[in-house]
Amino acid sequence: MGDEQKTKILILDDEPIVLKRLKPALEKSGYDVEAFSRSLEALNRIMEQNFDIVITDLKMEGLDGMEFLTRVKDRSPVTEVIVITGFATMETAKESFKKGVFDFLAKPFKFGEIKEVLAKAESKIKGKR
Amino acid sequence: MSTFTNLLKKVFRDRKKSASQVPFTVLFNVFQKILEYNNQVLELMAEMGTKLGGTYIFDQQYIRSTCHHIADTVYKLIYNLNTMAPKRYLNLYDAFGAINSDIEEELAGRPVIPQAEYTMPYSVITDDFTDVVGAKNANLAEIKNLLGLKAPEGFAITIRAFKAFMEYNRLQTKMDALNAAWQKGDPSKNQLAEEIRRLILEGTVPQLLEKEIYSSLDRLYQGVNPEEIMLALRSSAFGEDREHTFAGQYLSLLNEPRGNVLQAYKSILASLFSDSVMEYRRQKGLMDYQESMAVACQLMVDAKVSGVLYTLDPRAPDRDVMLINATWGLGAPVVAGEVRADLYTLDREEPYPLKSLDVVRKPEQLAPKKGGGTDMRMVHQDLQTKTCLTDEQMKQIAEAGLMIERYFKRPQDIEWAIDHEDNLVVLQARSLNIKDKVSKLVCDISSVLDDFPVIFRNKGSIAQEGISTGKVFLVKTEEDLDRFPSDAVLVAAYTSPRLGKVIKKARAIITDVGSPTGHMATIAREFRVPTIVNTGIATQLLRPGQMITVDARENVVYEGAVKALCYYEFAEETFETTYEYRLLQRVLKKIVPLNLLNPSEKNFTPSGCKTLHDITRYVHEKAVSELIELEYAKIGDTANSGRKLKFDIPLDLILIDIGGGISGPASVSEVKPHDVISVPMKAFLKGLSVPGAWDTEPMSVDFGSFMSSLTRTFSSSMATPKYVGQNLAVLSKEYVNINLRLGYHFNMVVAYISENLNDNYAYFRFLGGVTDISRRSRRAKLMAEILAKHNFRVDIRGDLVTARIKKLELTLMEKKMKILGLLVAFTRQLDVKMNHEQEIERLKNVFQDLKNDHIK
Repeated sequence: MGDEQKTKILILDDEPIVLKRLKPALEKSGYDVEAFSRSLEALNRIMEQNFDIVITDLKMEGLDGMEFLTRVKDRSPVTEVIVITGFATMETAKESFKKGVFDFLAKPFKFGEIKEVLAKAESKIKGKR
Repeated sequence: MSTFTNLLKKVFRDRKKSASQVPFTVLFNVFQKILEYNNQVLELMAEMGTKLGGTYIFDQQYIRSTCHHIADTVYKLIYNLNTMAPKRYLNLYDAFGAINSDIEEELAGRPVIPQAEYTMPYSVITDDFTDVVGAKNANLAEIKNLLGLKAPEGFAITIRAFKAFMEYNRLQTKMDALNAAWQKGDPSKNQLAEEIRRLILEGTVPQLLEKEIYSSLDRLYQGVNPEEIMLALRSSAFGEDREHTFAGQYLSLLNEPRGNVLQAYKSILASLFSDSVMEYRRQKGLMDYQESMAVACQLMVDAKVSGVLYTLDPRAPDRDVMLINATWGLGAPVVAGEVRADLYTLDREEPYPLKSLDVVRKPEQLAPKKGGGTDMRMVHQDLQTKTCLTDEQMKQIAEAGLMIERYFKRPQDIEWAIDHEDNLVVLQARSLNIKDKVSKLVCDISSVLDDFPVIFRNKGSIAQEGISTGKVFLVKTEEDLDRFPSDAVLVAAYTSPRLGKVIKKARAIITDVGSPTGHMATIAREFRVPTIVNTGIATQLLRPGQMITVDARENVVYEGAVKALCYYEFAEETFETTYEYRLLQRVLKKIVPLNLLNPSEKNFTPSGCKTLHDITRYVHEKAVSELIELEYAKIGDTANSGRKLKFDIPLDLILIDIGGGISGPASVSEVKPHDVISVPMKAFLKGLSVPGAWDTEPMSVDFGSFMSSLTRTFSSSMATPKYVGQNLAVLSKEYVNINLRLGYHFNMVVAYISENLNDNYAYFRFLGGVTDISRRSRRAKLMAEILAKHNFRVDIRGDLVTARIKKLELTLMEKKMKILGLLVAFTRQLDVKMNHEQEIERLKNVFQDLKNDHIK
């Protein structure tokens, strides 16, 4: 993966610990990562920059995750969205997939699990290119 | 006692009469619920525990919701136990209430500080209080309280005390003014530092703080003449030992008399603002006002020998050695590098052989002065060129050091002393920062691993992650546990809470059977000992003394010591300093540690329950024993709904099916053995009917008449009337409760066997009679030995033999039930024959032959 070719990822989670641990780990794996704990800031960033992959929590203060991912998909349908949530129910999972979410991970998850999902999302994106 | 408890008591008192007539099926349903909740709690605890391992991303929301889930389930356990045995366990609600409110406080972001006012005794300090007492105090308290090593008695003067002192003397304002003046270039840097120190040294210790320091001192003396006792006061600054940067820059004062304690305290606070420290902070861009200082106040250890241990050479970790510096007298000059000291280089493997020894001449030693303070004295001519440590002391230091290293998961820099009674005392421990050096060593793990043969891979489950090397030590008996050496890998057939007492000495644990959610696994996690359970084959494949590497991350056991893997552990990023890690760790302390290890110990009571795990274990144990007790009382009441077992053996047995224990229509009054589909009962009957077991040796009386006469006209002297009735078995698909009188003996077997090994148990109880006590005790001994050989936990009280086994997987449990069946058949009349002690050996062999022939 060349530098200019790095896959761009945006992470949104209102608990800073998630960002603190996920960002360096993903950077180590060669991704270009931006992390946000406020959904409005993340949304502003989405509007000015295309991301290959967006990782978002569902339940947050302010703009709710479902709303956020809808806006992401509206703005850039090719962006793959991965939902991470501690309130995993069949309903929320179904709803996310209806909205075109790539995958759905229940918190807590292992580093290996999210890396696996990211790798799959990446190969899907590359296949489209 | 709370009003809530009183209310409950009243409710249960009113219900008491009807409760004693609860039908068995209802009781059994409650019992099954308890098993289910018990399992849920253990699983949730294990799941939370694994989050400390570092491979998961979790958040505060997770911690909150899981805590609530566990608390809720434990509450249900208590409720259900009180349903089984009305009114008997109401105290559990109080224990629960106390623990749960602590957990809620933690979750609300208010760490529960027992008495963190201005001082805290070491006995109550845990690493949760690092921010309150400083890392030096917290580490030492953990070493003392948790690892059980000897460390000075003492207390911490907390960060809160520091803040109170600063506030009382309005030092912050004064320092700000000085700083402002300095920025304008008024005083020089050194003048500024000196002025701040003067303000501190001339400051007044607030009265409340002074009072608390003196009363803590009084508690420390405990009846000894205060004049004779001297103190050591050491800095324990916020973040001091964690970053390792300020090491040695702050003041320590040795051999201070009681009267000097306040002045000594202020001197140590003032060392926060020494010229060199302030310069250092400036270089690092740290602000002075962020600094705060706790102080360690300890009983002075008058050392014969002192020194420093590095558990790994910080300059060359790949040498894989420990370094000990040692000198006569107090250790301060060694720590400060002011004197030369003997240098011992030791192997890191037990028994830690000496690799090299560099003895220097030690003409002087630091010694305490009478009345206070220290001075340098001549060392006796004969001792100057002598080594300071015996082989035994060397080993002791190495052992203690590695235990501390294992716990903190980092190589350690440890100050130690040998006192005049030859005790090893740990004075201080901090992690060595060798990350940069180590990361170079571990660049290519996969190629390194190719050189080491894999003994087994992906067998069983990981109970605690981590990597460790060590020699195999097989534990088979209680005596083996007593002989368990430090730094060995504990290998055992079964997990058992009894292993708990050596876990902290173990480098790793591997068992053949057992569950990652079991009691032992949670203890292993508490001490962070890498653990793999349920491998099935560990005791067969691993030889005593064999050097192995346990990789309880990837679930592999290698032959030989793969050092690079262990360095990898040292090099990995820790997330132990994040708020979420600490919060999880703090709530887990209220949940996971198991204090109720042994049901026969005094603390096995509701008030002995200090954690939710304690309550869970208590409820489980009591639920089983309540069921056993209740069934004793009820025999005879329930026989009318039973059916008779038609069996080759003249066993007058009534079966009561409470759910899925017998196939075929319930209207048929006779049941054939093949109709019994209850898992434990089926296995038990197989063992009971092993050919030859009933008639191994002919009876002196015709068996049929013997049975009928004795079972029907039960002698009243043999048992209380409530035991008299039919032979009875209550059974379901997974459960059986068998009550048999064979001859004069009373056998009871209760078992639960399902796919879930955590629920599984078998309980056996034998009470005999007829012959004289020596023959009866021979029989008891024979039974106990047979049961113990088959891994039952056995207890003999006179003529009463009890045995239990639990948490094995289904097929193993079935085998144990067959063995119980065989044993019941085999021993029904044995005491009559047991005229000699030698009979025990002979009959044991007979039993073993029968077992080998018929139970595979």
